[in-house]
Amino acid sequence: MAIVFDGVTKAFPDGTVALQALDLAFEPGEFLVLLGPSGSGKTTACRLLAGLERPTAGRIMVEGRDVTDLPPRLRGMGMVFQNYALYSHKSVYENIAYPLRIRKMPAAELDRCVRAMAELLEITRYLDRRPSQLSGGQAQRVAVARALVWQPSLCLMDEPLSNLDALLRLHMRTELKRLHRELKKTFVFVTHDQEEAMTLATRVAVLREGALIQYDDPREIYRRPANRFIAEFIGRPAMNTFDGDVRDGVFHASGFTCPLPGKPDGPIVLGIRPEQIQLVDASAGDAIRFAVDVVEPVEPDVLIFAKSEANALIVRTVNDDRAYNPGEPLHLRFPPAALHTFNTVSGARLP
Amino acid sequence: MIDQSSNRAWKSFAWAVLLVAVVVALTPYVWMVLASFKNRVDLLSSVPKWSFAPTLANYPAVFIDKEYWPLAINSVLISVSSTVLCIVIGAPAAYGFARSDFPGKEDLFFFFLTTRMAPPISIAVPLFLFFTSLGLIDTIYAVVIAHTSFNLSLVVWMMRGFFAEIPREIDEAAMMDGRSRLGAFLFVVAPLAAPGIGATAVLCFILSWNEFLYAFILVAFDGRPLTVGIPGLVTPHGTLWGQVAAVAIVATLPIVLFTFLVQKQLVRGLTFGAVKG
Repeated sequence: MAIVFDGVTKAFPDGTVALQALDLAFEPGEFLVLLGPSGSGKTTACRLLAGLERPTAGRIMVEGRDVTDLPPRLRGMGMVFQNYALYSHKSVYENIAYPLRIRKMPAAELDRCVRAMAELLEITRYLDRRPSQLSGGQAQRVAVARALVWQPSLCLMDEPLSNLDALLRLHMRTELKRLHRELKKTFVFVTHDQEEAMTLATRVAVLREGALIQYDDPREIYRRPANRFIAEFIGRPAMNTFDGDVRDGVFHASGFTCPLPGKPDGPIVLGIRPEQIQLVDASAGDAIRFAVDVVEPVEPDVLIFAKSEANALIVRTVNDDRAYNPGEPLHLRFPPAALHTFNTVSGARLP
Repeated sequence: MIDQSSNRAWKSFAWAVLLVAVVVALTPYVWMVLASFKNRVDLLSSVPKWSFAPTLANYPAVFIDKEYWPLAINSVLISVSSTVLCIVIGAPAAYGFARSDFPGKEDLFFFFLTTRMAPPISIAVPLFLFFTSLGLIDTIYAVVIAHTSFNLSLVVWMMRGFFAEIPREIDEAAMMDGRSRLGAFLFVVAPLAAPGIGATAVLCFILSWNEFLYAFILVAFDGRPLTVGIPGLVTPHGTLWGQVAAVAIVATLPIVLFTFLVQKQLVRGLTFGAVKG
C-alpha cells in the first residue's frame, strides 16, 4: 500500500476531535474521494496528508516513508483549495510558474511546462491576466494547473468544485476525470457531494464524525451501504428507510406491511431505493398502498413523494406522462432483492 | 426624490464648512511660511503684516551660521532607521498574531497597546536613566530605539488586520508550492500586504519625524533632530522667530510633499482589504 493513514487522530486545541484513529490506505494512481457531511473530518484528513496540520497521534506513510513530521514542501504533493487561493499580485502565468520558480527551473523549460499545463486546462488565453479578472471556473483551472505543473505524484483537492455554479461544476467534474486519466497521478478529492464522489472516485471513503464508516468502490457503496447513515446519504434521492418490526416473516411499519422472510422477530429498519420501487395496478394482491403527496418531474424521470400514516417515501420512475394527483392512492411493490435491512439501534447493515 | 434647490443649498453649506476647516488648518502654516521670509522688524511689528519685503536671510542664518543642517540629517537617519526597525520587527509579529493561536494571545496583543496608554512624559525619566546606563545617551541610537519601541505597537495593531485580510489558504498554497512558512511570509504574504505595509511605514515615519519629547530628553547636542533644534533658538536675548519659522518649514516640507505624493497609496493601504484571489 502506497499511502497509509495509520491510526491517525487529530484533536484541536478547543477540544474537538476531528479524526478518531483513522486507518486508511490507497494505491498510487487512484482517485480517492473523501466523502462526508460537514464536520466529518474529511478536510482534516486531507490537510493532514498535505502536512498543513500535524496529527495528535498516529502516522502517515507515503511509499513506505513516514511523512508525519515533514513540512508540506517536502511531501511532494500539490493542492487545490476551495477558494482557489491564487496569488492576486501575480499574473496567471506567474501563478502557474510559481512552484517551478521555487524549484529554480531554467527559464526555457519553465515556459514549456507552464504552457503545456495551460494548454491541457485550456487557459492559454488567460495567461497574461490577473486572478481578479478571471471567472470562478477559470480561476479553478489556474489553481489546478498550479497544483499539477511541477508533476507532484499526488494532487489533493479540498472541495474544489463547491464555489462553482451548477453547470460549471458538472463540466469541471468531467475535466478532472479526464485529467486524472491523462496524467495518471494519484488524486485525493474531498467533497460533501455524493454525486461527485460516485462519478469521480475509484474508491470512496465515507467519513462521519471523525470515523471511517465505509471504504469501497462507489458501486459497492451504492449497492451495499454499510449502514443506515450511508444509505440515507448516497443516491439521488437517497434511500427510503422505515422503522418497524418483524413479526412472523412480515415487516410491520406505520401505514403498511411488507413480506420480509428470514429475519428474526423484533425491531428492524427496512430500506429501499426510490428507483427500485415498482408501481403496480390496484388489482395486484400484495400491493403496498401509499397516498400521493407531491410530484416533481425531473425529466426524464418523475419523483413521487407519497405518505402512509407516519411513513413517507419517494418513488423515482420514468415519466410516462401519467398524472399523479395529490391524495390519490399509489400502489407499490417492493421487490425482495431490492430490500436493505439495518439494525434499529446501531444502524449497521444486517446480512 | 431629492429637491434640486435644497440639494444645492446643502452642497453650498458643505463647501462653506470645508472652507472654514481649511482656513483654520492652513492659516498658522501660511503665517509660518511668511514669517520665515520676514526680517526681525517685520516679524515683531505690532500690527501683523501680510505684505513686506521678503528676505532669505533666516535660512542661511540658522542652517549654516548656527550649523543646523546636520540636524536635518539626524531627523532623516532617526526616522528612516526607526521605521525600518518597526516594520522588520513588527510585521512578523503582526503576522504571528494574525495566523497562529497560542495561550494568552489576546492578552499579549492588548499589552502592546498598553505601551501607548501611559502619557509619554511618564516614562521619559526611566528612559533617560535606562539609556544613560547603556551609555547611549546623547546618541541617535537612543532616539531610534525609543521611537521604535513606541511605534511598534502601532505597527503590530495595524498590520495584524492587514494580514488577517489575506486568506490563510494563500500561505498554505505557497507552502504546498514549495515554500517554508517563513518563505511563504516573505515571498507571498508580505508582497500581498505591501500596500498596508507601505501605509504603516509612512505613519511610522511621520510619527518619528515629528516626535519631540523623547528626542529632546535623550539628546542634547550631536544627535538632535530638527524638532529638538527649535527650542535652541529661544535665546536669553529673545526668540529668533524668523529662524524658528525657517527650521519649521524645513522640518515640515518633506512630510507635506511626501504625503501629497503618496496620498492615493496611503488611503488604499489604510483601507487595505478584500484581496481577491
